Amino acid sequence: MSVKRDEVLTADPAEPAGAAALLEVRDLRIRFTRGGRRVHAVNGLSYRLDAGQMLAIIGESGSGKSVSARALLGLLPSSAEVSGSARFEGAELVGMPEREIRRRRGRDIAMVFQDPARSLNPTMRIGAQITEAIRAHSGIGRKEADERAVELLKLVRLPAAERRFHEYPHQLSGGMRQRVVIAIALAGEPRLLIADEATTALDVTTQAQIMQLLVELRERLGMAVVMISHDLGLAASYAQHVVVMYAGRAVEYASARRLFGHVRMPYTQALLGAVPLLEREPHAPLPVISGQPPDPAAIPKGCAFRPRCASATGRCEQAPPFSEHEPGHWWACWHPAEDPPGGSGGSGGGGENGATR
Amino acid sequence: MAVVEAPPVPAADADEAAPRARTWTRGLGVAVPAALLALVAGACFLAPLVLPVPSPTGGNILEAGLPTGSPGHLLGTDPNGNDILSRILYGGQTSLIVAVTVNLLGLAVGGTLGALSGYVGGAADTVIMRLLDVLIAFPSLVLTLAVAQSLGPSLTNTILALGFFSVPAFARISRAATLSLREQPFMAAARLCGTKGWRVLLRHIAPNIAPQLTTFGMLGMGVVIVIEGALSFLGLGIPAPAPSWGNMISQGQASLSATPMLVLWPSLILFVTVLAFNLLGESLRTRWSVR
Amino acid sequence: MTAVAAGRHRGVGGRLFASPSVRLVGKRLLMAVPITLGVSILTFWVLNLIPGNAAQQLLGADATPEQIRAMELQLGLDKPAPLRYLDWLGGAVTGDLGRSLVSGQSVAGQLGERLAVTGELVAMAFVVSLLLAVPVALLAAYHPNRFFDRLSMFVSVTGLSVANYVLALVLVLVFAVRFAVFPAIGFVPLSESVGGNLHSLVLPSAAIGIPMFCLYTRFLRGDLVDQMQGQDYVVTAQAKGVGPWQVLLRHAFRNSSFGLITVVGLNLSTLIGATVIIEQIFALPGLGQLMLQAINTRDMAVVQACVVVFAVVAVLANLLTDLLYAVLDPRIRYGSR
Repeated sequence: MSVKRDEVLTADPAEPAGAAALLEVRDLRIRFTRGGRRVHAVNGLSYRLDAGQMLAIIGESGSGKSVSARALLGLLPSSAEVSGSARFEGAELVGMPEREIRRRRGRDIAMVFQDPARSLNPTMRIGAQITEAIRAHSGIGRKEADERAVELLKLVRLPAAERRFHEYPHQLSGGMRQRVVIAIALAGEPRLLIADEATTALDVTTQAQIMQLLVELRERLGMAVVMISHDLGLAASYAQHVVVMYAGRAVEYASARRLFGHVRMPYTQALLGAVPLLEREPHAPLPVISGQPPDPAAIPKGCAFRPRCASATGRCEQAPPFSEHEPGHWWACWHPAEDPPGGSGGSGGGGENGATR
Repeated sequence: MAVVEAPPVPAADADEAAPRARTWTRGLGVAVPAALLALVAGACFLAPLVLPVPSPTGGNILEAGLPTGSPGHLLGTDPNGNDILSRILYGGQTSLIVAVTVNLLGLAVGGTLGALSGYVGGAADTVIMRLLDVLIAFPSLVLTLAVAQSLGPSLTNTILALGFFSVPAFARISRAATLSLREQPFMAAARLCGTKGWRVLLRHIAPNIAPQLTTFGMLGMGVVIVIEGALSFLGLGIPAPAPSWGNMISQGQASLSATPMLVLWPSLILFVTVLAFNLLGESLRTRWSVR
Repeated sequence: MTAVAAGRHRGVGGRLFASPSVRLVGKRLLMAVPITLGVSILTFWVLNLIPGNAAQQLLGADATPEQIRAMELQLGLDKPAPLRYLDWLGGAVTGDLGRSLVSGQSVAGQLGERLAVTGELVAMAFVVSLLLAVPVALLAAYHPNRFFDRLSMFVSVTGLSVANYVLALVLVLVFAVRFAVFPAIGFVPLSESVGGNLHSLVLPSAAIGIPMFCLYTRFLRGDLVDQMQGQDYVVTAQAKGVGPWQVLLRHAFRNSSFGLITVVGLNLSTLIGATVIIEQIFALPGLGQLMLQAINTRDMAVVQACVVVFAVVAVLANLLTDLLYAVLDPRIRYGSR
């Protein structure tokens, strides 16, 4: 059932020389044991993030993107087995003792979750939830913490911050709640903010406002952001780099600009094809990715996308290496797509040509 | 739709035990209490037919107060010379008959009432639920005592008195389950297809609320056995010469310090039976993930 | 003074009357009235299931029909039941619960002292079981499935399966017969000796409280584990970097406590009903004992009064938990948006 993994990865994007990265994830693997079945949620994920940058991790639900992010904070249930490496400013997060990783939560790396309605404690006032985060890492007094919390609420542009400070989550709208969650995340002045589907539960207008806020905060506070999403379009508009994940593996990695002009991996292409575009004819059926994402307890041998891929051949039964085929552009595919004539990303079948080496 | 939302991150169970052992124990959770109950029921109902079990009443005064392990009287005899084991077995018949009948009564009347009330909704629902609120507000033992006193102690009256409080409890569970079902799309679909009301109740609601009611019934069996025991203990349940676990414990209480086994034997079997029903209910609850 | 502190003081006065919890309290109070009425009607009906019985039972089997007729007239049993109920209700509202058929004394006069004994017993059992259940459940939920958790779950499932009268007798056997630590029967009034009073209530309240402790522990532990493992706000709290105890206490327990209030409320009537049999076993002069005595002497007026008082206490206790819920839960207190 399991693939021989050592051959999958020849090199990885965490490697490039240059200044030390803020976060280097290398060959991260996460396994769960549930109800007698081994579930491989993440099967070798590598990426690198420099200080102040925004990286998008894209994938369908179940692709392991959220799990990999929670692993960085040690927030997985104890049944999870994590291996590989994730270095934050050189410190190894995988296997870090609970006490130490707890000290880093919120102060080094903070996280914003998908559903703002559920990620706030319904029985605590907004203010208390923020000051708790502030006081977790600094010894400042109650009054000072209160003032700092109101400052944070203003920073995330929550209207009537002083009043909201005393309110409960259910008295706020979804967008306002997410601003509060972001304020909590900012409380420890983290250098990395992980936004796990932070805008998925919000309506489109609010979604744009929250993304804009994240971009602005990143610039103002010099904080790096990992944004986890299933929305490739969203990633394209805000992130500098994009990692596409499929079945717990990175399948394509490039700068956002490069990726959308030169998609290589048929899966990424299919994802792009599934995005509604204005230039498409009205009422034309949206292309969908046929088939279903693989059961993480039974990932197919070789390329996991093979059963759903139009370009798959017998060769795909061997796992394609995830390597830097073009400068700054990594992918794992034997049959990468060619650039479309127009140069812009779009739909279309995968090319029939062999691997570019 | 088999989209596997891979390991739902905060996994629902942090059980670190070996997975195989867990499914194995889960099977045991139903099998062990069920076997225990089969043993108790078998002993109570079959043993007196097959084995030379002495009569539970009309004992010989010359054989009174024999200790545990006496020849012919495995658990000894009570102050009237009756065989304790025999009284426990025959008393168990009563307890189990009362428990099963009362719960079936509650299930049939309360279950139907609750499902109807929840399904029909509106004013009927409000009226039925207000009436049930009145019954639920009663401390059940107090109400049962009042009913039993009014009717006089007998097996049938015990069942009626206990049924009085089991109906509203079943009705409440059944109504809540039906209400949550009503929101499900398949119910709307059934109604849109023009399925008749009673058919919806029978074909769509009944099978779906059955797990909740069964689980509740299992826990209810234990409760009924305990309250029947209490009634008989207070002299308002099964009238005296006839054996019941409750009146055995009550009779033994008089000589608690001298012959504690008179109390402890029926207490033990009462405890084991109730525990088995509770464990079975709990296991079914986890298995069907009912709350 | 900061803007933060100022904001805290503003809304308090203004929101008191418009607050949804005040409305909820009003609604609950209004509902308690018909429920109490219903309870009294039901009691009356149940106790009169077999009409004419009272006089017969009171006089015994050898009474002549004339004697019975005379007794019925004397008791007002010749009137139709609804009328008799209204009579009774009219008296009850003004605090007159009738006279005992046996002693001829005013029923209401007997109830006061009895109610105090029962109340003390229930309060002691309730407070101690709750105060013990909370720390045990917290410790168990802190490390689910470890030894302490499994032990506490084993104890609570076992404890829930023990009938309280069995438990009472076992307690007597161990703590009164084997080791004479506590009295097997009897009651020392609070006015006589506070220590003696508590001493005499230890075993009875343990017999009532232990099953309640098991119930609360099992529920709270289960709910805490659900909160800790299934709720996003717990992950948010963990991601802040606060310690595990703080997450358990400030976050999970705060939310679980509302479920606990519901469970407490649902089981209050069981708790109150348990006093009947426990008072009988320990010979405590409470309401339950009075009711059983009245049942044995066929003293209908007293039985009726006792049942209604029990029911009213249960209704009030339920009302109290509802109110507690309304006051504590901000989602109710401030309504939803």
